[in-house]
Amino acid sequence: MARSVLVVDDEPNIVLSLEFLMRQAGYDVRVARDGESALKAIEDDPPALVLLDVMMPKRDGFDVCQVIRANPKWNDVRIVLLTAKGRDIEREKGMALGADDYITKPFSTRDVMQKVKQMLPPGG
Amino acid sequence: MLLFLAAGGSTLALSAGLYALIVLAIGGDAEARRVATGNAMLGAIVVAAGFGALWWRLTADLKRRTAAMAEETQLIARANPRHALDPAHYAEFAPVPQAVNELAAKLRDAREESDRRAARSTRQIAEQKAWLEAILSDLSEGVVVCNMNHQVLLYNQAALKLLHVSGELGLGRSLFKLVTRQPVLHALELLTFRLRTQGPPPPDLATVPVVCASTDAKALLRARTGLILDEKRDPTGYVLTFSDVTQEIATLGKRDTLLNAATEGMRAPLANLRAAVETVAAYPSMPAEQRASFDQVIVRESNALSEKLEQIATGYRELVAGSWPMAPIYSLDLQNCVVQRASEDRGVSLVGLPVWLYGDSFGLMLALTALLGHVRRHVGGGAIDLCTAPGQKRHYLDFAWDGAPIPSAEIDRWMSDPLDAASGLTLRDVLDRHRSEMWSQSLGAGRAILRLPIAAAEQPGLAGESGRLPPRPEFYDFALMHQSLPTASLGDRPLKSLSYVVFDTETTGLDAARGDEIVQIAGVRIVNGRILTGETFERIVDPGRPIPSASVTFHGITDAMVKGKPPIQVVLPQFRSFVADSVLVAHNAAFDLSFLKPKELESGVALGNPVLDSQLLAAHVFENIDDNSLDGLAHRLGIEIEGRHTALGDAMMTAAVFLRLVELLETRGVHTLNQAIELSNVAVELRRHAARH
Repeated sequence: MARSVLVVDDEPNIVLSLEFLMRQAGYDVRVARDGESALKAIEDDPPALVLLDVMMPKRDGFDVCQVIRANPKWNDVRIVLLTAKGRDIEREKGMALGADDYITKPFSTRDVMQKVKQMLPPGG
Repeated sequence: MLLFLAAGGSTLALSAGLYALIVLAIGGDAEARRVATGNAMLGAIVVAAGFGALWWRLTADLKRRTAAMAEETQLIARANPRHALDPAHYAEFAPVPQAVNELAAKLRDAREESDRRAARSTRQIAEQKAWLEAILSDLSEGVVVCNMNHQVLLYNQAALKLLHVSGELGLGRSLFKLVTRQPVLHALELLTFRLRTQGPPPPDLATVPVVCASTDAKALLRARTGLILDEKRDPTGYVLTFSDVTQEIATLGKRDTLLNAATEGMRAPLANLRAAVETVAAYPSMPAEQRASFDQVIVRESNALSEKLEQIATGYRELVAGSWPMAPIYSLDLQNCVVQRASEDRGVSLVGLPVWLYGDSFGLMLALTALLGHVRRHVGGGAIDLCTAPGQKRHYLDFAWDGAPIPSAEIDRWMSDPLDAASGLTLRDVLDRHRSEMWSQSLGAGRAILRLPIAAAEQPGLAGESGRLPPRPEFYDFALMHQSLPTASLGDRPLKSLSYVVFDTETTGLDAARGDEIVQIAGVRIVNGRILTGETFERIVDPGRPIPSASVTFHGITDAMVKGKPPIQVVLPQFRSFVADSVLVAHNAAFDLSFLKPKELESGVALGNPVLDSQLLAAHVFENIDDNSLDGLAHRLGIEIEGRHTALGDAMMTAAVFLRLVELLETRGVHTLNQAIELSNVAVELRRHAARH
C-alpha cells in the first residue's frame, strides 16, 4: 500500500499521461473511470494516495472524498483533487471535505509528480 | 333727540302762552306784569333746564349702550362667534340685536366649517409629509431637490451617504459642490427644451438619465432628473435621484477586459500549438533535430496557454458575484425572513453576529428556506441553529445540528428541485448566481454543519463612518456599578453557562441628571455562549423632549422618528420581561443604568439583575492598554464592526466582545459570576480612587 496510487478520472487522455508517469516513477498504479468504481477499488485494497477528479459520472469527486473521510479505517489514505473546477470556493469545499491537496487543470505533470513524491517519498 | 327738542320747544311755547294769559288777566298793571313776566321766565327756564338735563342724561346712556352693543358685536366678529347679544338688554334697538345674533350664528357655522376643513387639510398634509419622509428615508437611492439656481432644497439620508457628506448637506448649498456640473446641466437643458417645444411631457419622458460623479471623485453615480413645474407649467426646480454604480461599472469593465483576454489573448499561443502539433502529426518521420524544435514549441506554447488561462481564471474569481443584480443584505433580516416563512420554526435558533452579505436577497431567501426543510428532514426532531460565521472575502451561512454531516450526493440531489413554482429557480441557479458552492462537514464533537458561503459586502453607506464618530465618553456613577454579590446558586455558576441580555441605549445626550433621556433601547440574548440574534429586543422611545442634532449625528434617531412611540415608562416593563432573570451586560453599563434606574419607580419595575460591564472587564484583561472603547476592543479582538451606533448594533457588538472577554478572563482564573463582579467592584474602586485624587 505504501507506494500504491489510485488515479480516478473519466478523461482517458489525462489518465494516459498520469498512469505512464507514475509507473515510470515506480508507483503501483490502478485506474478507475468513475466515483463508484473508485470506492470499490478502495474497498478492495486501500491505496496510499488517490488522485481524484471532481467532475465524474455516478459519484463525483467531492462525494468520494467525503465517503473516504467518513470511514476511519481509511484515515491514512491521502487525497489529491485534480479538477477543472478552479474557483477558490471549490478549493475551499474540497479542503473542507477532507482533501489533502487540490490541483486545478491544466496542470504541469511535473508539479503533480512532485506533490506525489512529497506525499509518498520513494523510500517510504 | 327730535322728541326732546320738541318737548323743549313746547315748554318755551307753553311759557310764552302762560305769560300772555297772565298779561291779559292782569291787564295794565305794569308792576304786576313785570313780576308775572319774571316768574313766567323763571318757570320756563327751570322747566327747560330740567328737560335739558334729562336729554343730556338720556343721550349719554344711549351712547354708552350703543358702544356696548358695538363692543359685543366686535367680540362676536373677532373672538367668539358663540357670544350672543341679549335682545332684552338692547330692547330699544330691536330688531338690531336679533339681526346681529343671526349674523353671529352664520359666522359661527362658517368658521366651524372652515376650521374643520383646515384641520382636515393640515392632517392630510402632515400625513403626506410623514409618507414622503418615510419614503425618502427608506429609499436606498439618493434624492436631492433643487431650485433652478441649483440650490439644494431637500435631500434624504441616502444622498448624504452616496455623496460622502458628513453631517448636514446644508439647505441652500449649491448642488455642484457635490456632483459634477456638466451632465446635470445638460440633462436640464434637454428637459427644458422638451418642455418648451412639446409642452409637459408624458411620464416616461418626464425624466432623463444622467451619469455624473461626486466632486470628490470617489463615486460614479447613475441618476435620473426630472423638472418640477408650477401651476403655469414653468419649471421651478428639479429632482435628482441617484445610486452609486462605481462597483457595477468597475465590474463591467473588468469583465470586458477578461472577455477580451479570453478571446484575443489565447489566439496566438493556440495557433502556434496547433500548427506545431499538426506539422508533427503530418510528418512523423521528420529528422530528430527538427522534431526536437517542434517539441519545444509544443511545450512552450502549452505552458503559455495554461498561464493565460490561469490569469483569466484569477481575474474571473476576483469578480465576487455574477451578473445577476446584487445588493447588500443584512444576514439577520434574511434569517428572520427564512424562519418566518418556514411553517414550523420550532427548534430553530438564530446564532452568531449578523454580517453584511452581497447577494440576491430573494434567491437566497428561497434557497435557505428550502435548505432548512432539507436539514430538518435530515436532523429529525433535533434543534437547528441558523448561524452566521464571518470570513474574509466571504461570510458563511451555516445550518448547525448535533449529528452526522449530510452526504454530498444527497445535497447534489436537492440542486435541481424548483425552489418555488413562480420563479422556477433551483438551488443550483442560486449558487451559480452567487458563484458559490455548498457542502456539509463535521465540526467534531458530534456536531455538523451545512455551509453556504456568500460574498461579503461592506455595510452600505456606513463604510468608514463609524470611525469619524468619537466614542461615548467613559462614564461612571460609582454608586451604580458597585454591586453586592448574587446568591451562591447564581454567583458560583461558570460565566460560560449563564444566560445574558446584552443591551445598549441611545440617548438625547450624555447627562441623565440634566434631563437627557433614552431614545432607543435594544438587547440581544446570549445562551450557552451563543449570541441568539433571533432573540432581540429593540424599541424606539419617545424621550418627551427635543433630540439635539448633535446626538442625531450619533444614532440617527430624529424627532419625527420618536413621534407616537411609547415613553420609557411603557418600554421599561417590556424590557424587564425580556430580560427576565438573565445577567445584564453593557459596555460602560453605568451610563445606561444612569438613564434606566431613575425610571424604575415611575415604571413600576426594578432591574435588580446582576450587571457586568464589558468595559470594566476589558480594563482587567487589557491592563496596559488605555483604549477600551467598544470600537477599540472590537478592532483588537478581530470583530468586524457592522451596524454600529444603533442600539441593537452596539448591543450585538458588545455581545461578541463580551464572549471573547469571557474566554480571556478564564485564562486569568476568572470563571464565575461572583469572581467577575468582584473584579468589576475592584475596578470601580480603583476608578473612584483615581477620581478623588
